[in-house]
Amino acid sequence: MSNYKDGMRDDEIRIIGAQSRKPQVEVFSSRVDEPNPSELPKREYSSFQMDMPNHPKPVKKKWYLWLALLAILLIIGLILLLHFRTAKEDPYNGVFEPREEVTVQPVKQEKKLLGHEADSLSSYTERIDTVINDVGLAIFIPYNATPELWVGRPPEKDPNIILSVQAADIRADNKEILGAFVDKGTPLAWGQSKSGYCAIINGKMTIGTSENTPFFEQATETGGYFFRQFSLVNKGALVENELKNKSVRKALCSRYGQIFVAVTASDESYHDFSQALVDLGVEDAISLVGSKYAFGWWIDRDGVNTSFADGWHKYKKENYLMWRM
Amino acid sequence: MSKFIVISTNTELLRVPSDRLMFITSDGNYSKVYTQDGHYRQVAYQLGQLEDIIGDQLGEEETPFIRIGKSLIVNRDYIYLIDVSSQVIIVSDCQGQFHTLQASRKALISIKVLMENTEL
Repeated sequence: MSNYKDGMRDDEIRIIGAQSRKPQVEVFSSRVDEPNPSELPKREYSSFQMDMPNHPKPVKKKWYLWLALLAILLIIGLILLLHFRTAKEDPYNGVFEPREEVTVQPVKQEKKLLGHEADSLSSYTERIDTVINDVGLAIFIPYNATPELWVGRPPEKDPNIILSVQAADIRADNKEILGAFVDKGTPLAWGQSKSGYCAIINGKMTIGTSENTPFFEQATETGGYFFRQFSLVNKGALVENELKNKSVRKALCSRYGQIFVAVTASDESYHDFSQALVDLGVEDAISLVGSKYAFGWWIDRDGVNTSFADGWHKYKKENYLMWRM
Repeated sequence: MSKFIVISTNTELLRVPSDRLMFITSDGNYSKVYTQDGHYRQVAYQLGQLEDIIGDQLGEEETPFIRIGKSLIVNRDYIYLIDVSSQVIIVSDCQGQFHTLQASRKALISIKVLMENTEL
């Protein structure tokens, strides 16, 4: 969607409809005259009738009709015969009273992943823009990359990192990481003020909501990663948050096993953001550091590096969730 | 009865009578569709894509909609004022809806000339 180009300039106008896609800047320099009918594009009428060969209609052969009638009668007779035979064998089997209840199997809804089918060779981030309940969402899907956490100034020039977003919040008082945090097996913080979590164990990411989870210990034991954030969606259900202000929201989401980052196009409340994610079919989602100053970037299929933020509030312990090719 | 413009995405369908659609503004990958009742709706289409949709749905005849530069589609029936010197076009239904929009000087002159010739 974002690759759509229509080549319109700011000083052009055009009337939508008949001659659409042809800029009408000439109006600026000359009067509009009645168009010469001979210059108008001639409507091409369907040539179907003209090209039709003038064959006489084929003669209908009546014996076909008789054969079809006979076949129908035979089928009706066969059905009646079968019906009466069944009724005779089983006198309790009435026409309108089937003894066995018909069970209707629910149709399994096809789980359709977002984005296109990934090229198995290249690593990149795909951006999809959508609007759900009037909430504009940009969805960033990383392909062929491994997630990890990073603490400190991020390597923004590294072309191997195709998606980078700020992960855990920083405390306002002491500028330390808020909530439990494990960096490559090393615990850096132990707080449990937020119920949402993200764990990366052996390169596999798990998003969930729980006050107590074994993933913290697993991350410590296996050299993995772990951080906590506000839970937005838990098993498909909206999680209410006390914060009521509006801001650019960002979330880490899991949907049909696909992991992606969702960012609002404008300032939204947590409630509206979470509801939009639920309506999108997200099963689990936790918040990420939002606002217009949460630094981060993504690299598209053409290798173009685009920043998420207008500015950058730098902290010593700022930390990032990154996808590395 | 007026025709409807139907803008459909994978999650939403927006259906607006064409004669009630006042203008559309561009906002990057999104556009805002403003209707005569004072409301607007954001859709996940770029302006050029909406131009195609309107052109396709309203048929081959000229529509009242004019694409003005990169970021505006205006229903000419609602054009209230073209101020070339201030580079402003005012879209109004003269019943309370009043929107002041920016456009380039050259585009505004073009629309002015166009409307002078077609409105007579």
